[in-house]
Amino acid sequence: MNCNELLEVLLDYVNGEMLVESRTSVDVHIQGCQHCGILVQSYVHTMRVAKALPKCKLSAAFEAKLRAMLEPELKGEKPKPTS
Amino acid sequence: MPVRLREEGRMFDPPPEKLTPELVFREYAPRIYNIARRMLGNDADAEDVTQDVLLQVVRKLDTFRGDSQLATWLHRVTVNAALAHRQKRANRQKHENHEADEDSLGAGSSPTPGRKWDIGPEETVLAAEQAGIIEKAIEQLPEPFRDVYVLADVEGLPNNEIGDMLGLSLPAVKSRLHRARLRMRDLLAPHFEGKVTP
Repeated sequence: MNCNELLEVLLDYVNGEMLVESRTSVDVHIQGCQHCGILVQSYVHTMRVAKALPKCKLSAAFEAKLRAMLEPELKGEKPKPTS
Repeated sequence: MPVRLREEGRMFDPPPEKLTPELVFREYAPRIYNIARRMLGNDADAEDVTQDVLLQVVRKLDTFRGDSQLATWLHRVTVNAALAHRQKRANRQKHENHEADEDSLGAGSSPTPGRKWDIGPEETVLAAEQAGIIEKAIEQLPEPFRDVYVLADVEGLPNNEIGDMLGLSLPAVKSRLHRARLRMRDLLAPHFEGKVTP
């Protein structure tokens, strides 16, 4: 396996969607290629940091605006028909 | 027992309580906003989408037979609303909005060799500054890449579901996700690469 071939299968490799033999080829290449070792490390990290991102929060002002908009529904009333 | 708000691969966990407008507001408004904010890149657009989607779901609550049906529906509606909002914004700005084909997004050059990243093996807790850097990097992704990256890696949705939502084939989803990750890598490298040892 060469570096270009590794790049083509990298997504399947990190997602665990490769056959064992193919996965072994990648593992062997990584062990012998510093550039690809760094590539895989950093590629996996872009996935990890995405997963670790905190949730975006609603501002207090927007939450209040939403509550006001939904007031009839939140009170269990039927909304007035819009003209 | 507290409701688990998120588990691996699920954007919206069905809460165990009965669906009421208040529950939907409390549990789902933040999640709708979260995905809209990341797809659209700014608070104002995300708020517009959140408002529209929340209104739809609260007014249609009676039509949902169960929590999981609502969760599934919310995935699609939120993404569709964000895409529609983006389209409207592009039309308002009088830009021609061509559907991006894979070629127009650039073939992607080979990743440049770099230094090993200075990160722990299982680092999952982000400092506020790091989170800010990553959010900015996501905003810099071209929209076709950003959508897939947000849905797959941030929200944890499976690729086939992303394809259904975005009208893409599975190979197209994987291609865009792969290129999104490579771009993110380039954007984050200056912040994570270890120092050169003399």
